[in-house]
Amino acid sequence: MSKEKRYEKEVKAFLSHRLGMIGLIGVAILILIAVFAPFIAEPVSGYGEYEEKLLPPSSKYWFGTDDMGLDLFSQVIWGTRSSIRVGIIAVFIAISIGVPVGLLSGYYKGLFDTIGMGLTEIFLTIPMLPLIIVTAAVLETTSINTVAFIIGIFSWPSIARITRSTALKICGMQYLEAAKCLGIKTSKIIFKHILVNASTPIFVNLTIIMATSIITESAISFLGLGDPLAHSWGKILNNAHLSGAFGTAWWFSLFPSIAIMIFVVSFNFLSMGIRDALNPRISRE
Amino acid sequence: MGKYLQKRIVKGIITFFITITLTFLIVRLMPADPTTMLMDNRLTVAQQEQMLEDFGLDKPLPLQYVSFLGNLFKGDLGLSFMQKRPVMDIIKERLPWTLLLMIVTQAITLLIGIPLGVYSGYRRGSKIDHFINGISIFGISIFVPWLGFTLLYIFGYQLKMFPVGGAFTPGIEQGLPYILDVIKHLVLPVITLVFLYLANYVLYTRGSIIDVLSEDYIRTARAKGLKEKDVLWKHATKNAMIPTVTSAGMMLGSMVGGAVLTETVFAYPGVGRMIYQAVGQQDYPILQGAFIILALSVIIMNIVTDILCAYLDPRIKLE
Repeated sequence: MSKEKRYEKEVKAFLSHRLGMIGLIGVAILILIAVFAPFIAEPVSGYGEYEEKLLPPSSKYWFGTDDMGLDLFSQVIWGTRSSIRVGIIAVFIAISIGVPVGLLSGYYKGLFDTIGMGLTEIFLTIPMLPLIIVTAAVLETTSINTVAFIIGIFSWPSIARITRSTALKICGMQYLEAAKCLGIKTSKIIFKHILVNASTPIFVNLTIIMATSIITESAISFLGLGDPLAHSWGKILNNAHLSGAFGTAWWFSLFPSIAIMIFVVSFNFLSMGIRDALNPRISRE
Repeated sequence: MGKYLQKRIVKGIITFFITITLTFLIVRLMPADPTTMLMDNRLTVAQQEQMLEDFGLDKPLPLQYVSFLGNLFKGDLGLSFMQKRPVMDIIKERLPWTLLLMIVTQAITLLIGIPLGVYSGYRRGSKIDHFINGISIFGISIFVPWLGFTLLYIFGYQLKMFPVGGAFTPGIEQGLPYILDVIKHLVLPVITLVFLYLANYVLYTRGSIIDVLSEDYIRTARAKGLKEKDVLWKHATKNAMIPTVTSAGMMLGSMVGGAVLTETVFAYPGVGRMIYQAVGQQDYPILQGAFIILALSVIIMNIVTDILCAYLDPRIKLE
């Protein structure tokens, strides 16, 4: 099968994958909301009107108001922006650590492999959330970027594994032996052969990292360790928890939770769709 | 087997060593100076120095590291800043609750997840398969605290079927009533965590059952005229379980994370809630100690899982 034909078939397989398409549409909508947040809702901060605190959803406040009398719809919309930002930073950091570690392990092998994979395994074993909590707690100034950075630093192992296994697979192929004999530069082998082949599985993994980084960010904010100035879904839930309104004002916690769920489900569905399109055996006969 | 076990334990020790070094560095290199937080202006200089000495904060960093390691092997994790008593004693009261929560969750998740995954993989592409998959994905996507609070609100406050927090009712301390009471307190936190981790096991088992079902020995089993039920649930499931059990070991680390959130929501007196409280009080010795003990528990449980895998799959021993 020619390369174009295979590509065409994969795209077709993805387009007919219902969950994958739902995911793609969801991700697109989230990105649009994040980009156009200033046109959708006025940002809120500080204190609102006392008479307007904990109002249920109405035509004026679609998602109701919080314990400070602030509009929750606006907070959820602006939270989308923070979430996308956290996801992108975390993913970027994860790639810039994971890919080099994976390449060193899979291409140069030997000591690099022992150390690289040893580290990967350790990072996969130890409980990440408590470690992230400890790190966020000792850093006194937690801006949203710092939080994203910390999450990224602890998210690279899966990328390293994928890059390594692709590198090992490609290095075992005969055409690569031939390429090496012809004196083709290592950098060209790495970029043209290994990274091109690894890019799709890495991309599938990135969508998963996007999803988990938001769960982690929400957890950190929920525990009160997030950026106090940024709008974050986890922070809204923290406010709901601390104000004791979890039981009485259902809208306070419901809407940010739904936002988290839509975000995570969209990215997970997207990764499922891509994975199944590339590996049809798993999903169909 | 002996050699495999030895290798596994050495790996565990290295992991533990790196974990504690990492923790030490993170906690010591923080921008905020713990000494200033600890100090009260009303103390005399001599008292302040005495206090620094008590907490071991007067020495240079490498020396602190050496004494930290030395103390650790004696089971001494230092003193809590806030409670002014050994961290080890505090953790000893808390750890059993976290372990109970995690082990029950792990067992129930495997018991439900493996059959669901097997069935879903066997009927792949069917409506039921899509349904199980969809529910699993929703499971991983729900934000734990919200699920916890919703369950708490419905079953605790409204229906009054389960207690609204804690791990036991003070006053009931012995015998069957105590055990029943503890189980009652465990139900909602366990449901929360099971829902969260079910998907991973379902999807893993589903993937491997699909692989296993195309193997030759399955065809042989069918050709021998074995009942389809036996082929699926005995021959195929046994082999499909290996990757799932392996992943169960890998999941432990993230399960601890889920436990922190769940314990916070349900006011469950485990190590996770202790971490949450210590964050609020900036009690670094507690944070550090809790993390070390959690990591150690996960590493030990991982070794146990690996041994279990070697028992399930004799090929592993040959490696």
